[in-house]
Amino acid sequence: MRPLTEEESKAVFTKLANYIGKNLVHLIDRPDEPYCFRLHRDRVYYVSESSMRLGISIARPNLVSLGTCFGKFSKSGKFKLHITSLDYVAQYAKYKIWIKPNGEMPFLYGNHVVKAHLGRITEDTPEHQGVVVFSMKDIPLGFGVTARSTVDTRKLDPTAIIVFHQADVGEYLRDEDTLF
Amino acid sequence: MDVSNILATHAAKFQSVTVEKDTPLEIDAGLLLASDPNPIEEETYKENLEDHLQSLARDGAQALISALFSLPTKQSPHGPLAILPRPVFQLPRAKPLPKPKPQTKWEKFAAAKGIQHKVRDKKIWDEEKQDWVNRWGRNGKNREVEEQWIHEVPLNADVDYDPRKVARDERKERIAKNEKKHQQNIARSGTASRDERKSEIEKTLATTRISTASMGKFDKRLEGEKKVRGVKRKCHYSQNLKLSQFDPNEASVESEKKASLDLLSKMDSDKNKMRREPRTEEGDLNVRKAVKFASKGRGGIALGREMSGGRGRGGGRGRGGRGGRGRS
Repeated sequence: MRPLTEEESKAVFTKLANYIGKNLVHLIDRPDEPYCFRLHRDRVYYVSESSMRLGISIARPNLVSLGTCFGKFSKSGKFKLHITSLDYVAQYAKYKIWIKPNGEMPFLYGNHVVKAHLGRITEDTPEHQGVVVFSMKDIPLGFGVTARSTVDTRKLDPTAIIVFHQADVGEYLRDEDTLF
Repeated sequence: MDVSNILATHAAKFQSVTVEKDTPLEIDAGLLLASDPNPIEEETYKENLEDHLQSLARDGAQALISALFSLPTKQSPHGPLAILPRPVFQLPRAKPLPKPKPQTKWEKFAAAKGIQHKVRDKKIWDEEKQDWVNRWGRNGKNREVEEQWIHEVPLNADVDYDPRKVARDERKERIAKNEKKHQQNIARSGTASRDERKSEIEKTLATTRISTASMGKFDKRLEGEKKVRGVKRKCHYSQNLKLSQFDPNEASVESEKKASLDLLSKMDSDKNKMRREPRTEEGDLNVRKAVKFASKGRGGIALGREMSGGRGRGGGRGRGGRGGRGRS
């Protein structure tokens, strides 16, 4: 376990900023308790200071996980956001999309969101913007990247993809052993 | 009066001062060294080794000290001092002999051709001054041409022909050539292997890469440049500027937070710098090109000034956009 280097922090922040924008500051600068990012075996964890200090005393091979896993660094140094970060990402998300009940299952099985399943979408969402996917009951289901801007989606036919799937809560079952 | 008894006791007292051996001890007062060339007496050696050694050492020390007392002395505030003679004993050399210098290319050539080395005097006779002047250096003869007050200019010379500069350039060229030869001689004599030289170059490169004001942080990465391995990074926010590979885990989260926020603001400003004009509804219209065409290549600001009658910055879209402040 160690703090991120500057390059790593940059990678993590740019990825997070794609979803939550300026709200990233609220993750770093929390009023309740100081939180920090820690890297442990390629994975980035978002931990409170107290649990981080507890975790210091645990030997590296014995430490399985701590805090909230936000994602992992690939071998080529890219950062991949995991579904486990959804709690925080959904809380601060700038652009949201709500999908109809009949679109929930396809999305939770790892498919892209098509226009037919689109319930609501935040106004003026640009293209290739990270969005958080909600069910109509406002339950966060995952996140993805918009294929078209909000304006462009109007012209599309119902089967066209509007959000590329990135992660969904179905991964808790599908990738249970590699997720945390 | 019988003094023989007294004399005998006196002699006995001084008997211990003289050392009687079959072969006299060799004393080298310069090195404070006494060596005993006599063969070891086997009986006493086997009987009691300690005593034997002690008596040997005592004899040597006694002989040495009595030799010291026979030396000429000089007075000093601390008492009389003996003046030691030069050492006689040849001590062996501690270090191996230095290797002979490899021959330079010229030396090899001269040896092959049988050219004798002539020592050139530093001074040279100057006919005009009727004096010895330096061959080089201060008021050197080699600068005579460029320092003379009048110069001969060849017939077909250019207008800007500077004989002084030409002579100087020639001299500098000779110096550079000699220096080059010198370097080549050094390189030829160098015993460093290819790997050694390579690692040396890499070391130098690594040093130069962190030798900028930002310690290489904001330097442009060249293509194919490898990440330096095994070099410790500098801590960003540790107080004692400790060198370590990564920031410490136990550092205060406050300082870490500050560093993160700084990084965020830096990233933000970087993004602002690179921000492009968002794609508008006009579709295929290339705004930049259109502005360039309409303003005849003078840019959007000039066009706007023209259109609003000198009251600049009207409808002009900047080239490549510094606009678009609204988007966040």
